[in-house]
Amino acid sequence: MRHLPLPSAAFSSFASRSFAAGLAALVLFPLAWSLFGAIDAAWDLAAWQALLTQPQLQTALGLSLWTGLASTALAWAGAAVLLSGRWGSKVPAMLALPHAAFAIGVVLLVSPSGWFLRLGANLWGGVGGVGLESPPDWPTTQDPWGVGLIVVLALKEMVFLLWMGLAVLQRPDFSKRLRLEMQLAQTMGYSERAAWWRVGWPQLASRLVAPLGAVFAYSMSVVDVALVIGPTAPPTLGVLAWQWLQDADPHTQAQGAAAAWLLLAVSALLVAGLVFVHRAVFKPWARARLTRGAAPLTAQEHHTLALRQPTAAAWALLAVYSAVGLALGLASVTGVWLFPALWPQTWTPGAWAAVASDGDTLWTSVWLGLLSASAATVWVLLVWEWWPLRWRSGGRSAVLLALIFLPLLLPAALWALGLHRIALEWGWDASASGVWLAHTLSVAPYVALALYGPLQGFDPRLRTVAATLGHGRWAFVWRVQWPLLRGAIAAAFAVGFAVSVAQYLPTLYVGAGRFDTVTTQAVALSSGGQRSLMAAYAALQWVLPVVVFALAAWGGRARRFGSAGFQAGPAAELG
Amino acid sequence: MSLNIHLQSLRTPSRVLLENLTLEVPAGTVHTVMGPSGSGKSSLLAAVCGTLDAGLQFAGRITLNGRRIDNLPTPARRVGLLLQDDLLFAHMTVQENLLFAVPKDPKAQRHDHVMQALIDIEMQDFGDADPATLSGGQRARVALARALLAQPQALLLDEPFSKLDMRLRERMRALVFGAITKRGIAALLVTHDSADIANPRQCTHV
Repeated sequence: MRHLPLPSAAFSSFASRSFAAGLAALVLFPLAWSLFGAIDAAWDLAAWQALLTQPQLQTALGLSLWTGLASTALAWAGAAVLLSGRWGSKVPAMLALPHAAFAIGVVLLVSPSGWFLRLGANLWGGVGGVGLESPPDWPTTQDPWGVGLIVVLALKEMVFLLWMGLAVLQRPDFSKRLRLEMQLAQTMGYSERAAWWRVGWPQLASRLVAPLGAVFAYSMSVVDVALVIGPTAPPTLGVLAWQWLQDADPHTQAQGAAAAWLLLAVSALLVAGLVFVHRAVFKPWARARLTRGAAPLTAQEHHTLALRQPTAAAWALLAVYSAVGLALGLASVTGVWLFPALWPQTWTPGAWAAVASDGDTLWTSVWLGLLSASAATVWVLLVWEWWPLRWRSGGRSAVLLALIFLPLLLPAALWALGLHRIALEWGWDASASGVWLAHTLSVAPYVALALYGPLQGFDPRLRTVAATLGHGRWAFVWRVQWPLLRGAIAAAFAVGFAVSVAQYLPTLYVGAGRFDTVTTQAVALSSGGQRSLMAAYAALQWVLPVVVFALAAWGGRARRFGSAGFQAGPAAELG
Repeated sequence: MSLNIHLQSLRTPSRVLLENLTLEVPAGTVHTVMGPSGSGKSSLLAAVCGTLDAGLQFAGRITLNGRRIDNLPTPARRVGLLLQDDLLFAHMTVQENLLFAVPKDPKAQRHDHVMQALIDIEMQDFGDADPATLSGGQRARVALARALLAQPQALLLDEPFSKLDMRLRERMRALVFGAITKRGIAALLVTHDSADIANPRQCTHV
């Protein structure tokens, strides 16, 4: 396929470049300021000395490393299996479930008085042959080994990696080439499965390295999920850092900043080590496997024309998410529920009545989500359009991408600290505009991530064709590019909304606790006894993004054409 | 009435693709440019079209009907383009694809132009059709009609027949070359296929 290069003359004026730089600075400047605020917090020697003498440090750091590494490895393996079936019809719904809500749902399922143990007690009169008349004293949540945290993170991040992988697979340029290459491999005697693992997956995996880094950084430093289901004595270092940062004593706050930096440094060292091991050991081994030739087809493969879609793994994942959703819904209307009864003795809408009477919480989540997702989506689209073509490769582009995506790699507490610093210095702390800015800056990387592939994969020749038909940049953007990308833009907006709804630390820290959202309420209630209210807020954490994802799917659906037949008229007029 | 290209050089930062090339394409004729891959044929079309990649530099002068166009933005050049892929806009019907190309003029009967274009390509019953449901030949005809509806003074053809089968190729050649002659458009054709050459005396090898 031949490609005519893109228009450049109209994009090269000084004014256009200045506007592009100014537009980029709108988000990059506060973002860089926040990063600087975070960096500035690292230069306190006394804080480092105090940190290193903390008796909890070693165990907390070890727990962070263990939970971060294990959950990332499981998420990667799970995503690889799921992607092998190219299954993804329910991914947006699963992606919409915030981490904290998912963790709360898992707690409701696996806690000693949770549904699983009730189910076991009812099915077999006990678990493991032990009769249960009251909830056992088993560490099924907040276990000291971090198993619950690992499971929750793995299942959530698996969906994120799946979504990122599907975004790559849906790019027309990549998918078309990959399909042909896999067909070619099959003509050489490889089964479809073998063709996927030897031809498809290696190419896809190399494009998922950055998201994998973001998953690892997030898993190492996550706070809200760890507060709900993570170990407590001691907690992970991310939680410890957050607790110190919230302390009224400035010295303890500085110690918290140092802890967040330590987490970042250890993560970076670990990633560097893993990259070295991957290049020195794994890659040569994998290359040898890739080129060892096709194995004879198994009897099953002889009769299997295509990979099963969806796979058993996909069904298992769907079942877990469905169970979590059911648990949240059930717990939100539960009244009296004595153990080991499978169903509550009484039902009550009290929690939902309480949620309805506290309309501000719901409204704050909604307006923050809508405004921050809108701002981030518009910003990404405009920057892409105005960013000069000659800047799209090379240094400027690298700086732009590094700055946009850096928040994804920072420990959550450190990022919240940077946002807090900028809010303080701009006099926006504890204000609606400050919380909106914090949400927008947190949402922007995800929106950029969601739109980057579709924008980059958009056929540049369409712009050329529109130009030769007499249309300028904005006519092309309004009437061709954005309508064609309507689905991707709507999905990116929904992702932004979901990320905003899930924000915990930035809302709490920048808003100084004055702005309650469904997420801050759900996490706060997770340590108390109001189970039904907690479940109601956690369910809302899911329902809000799901509604927006559904609206995005409806608004972004491909156009349906009528039957053939020319009917000229004003309705068909395009300008 | 012609397309005149006086090319001093067309180069990347590291090498010269074309130099010292002069082409005069009279109105209503097709000038063919042939050459191996990477010789700069498509870049020449991009220079005429105003869509040169940032890494390429054009030195020279291009005029269309006496009007210098190499310093104009693409939409102002009035140069049409047909590629080997039809590149119909997937979110628009056939009719809307064509309307997109008709210049905005309140006095013009835009729908009449579109209807006539559909009749010209024998697709008057396909106005509301989804482009994805059309055959390759039908899509190619719609792409041609769309390019012509923009009323270009020159038409650039970048291997527009290479993806069509032999029978369709013959038919499309006749359709495209006939339209060029009838409308008095200067056309520049890039191809690898010598069968595409409209007039052997109007052929340049690069």
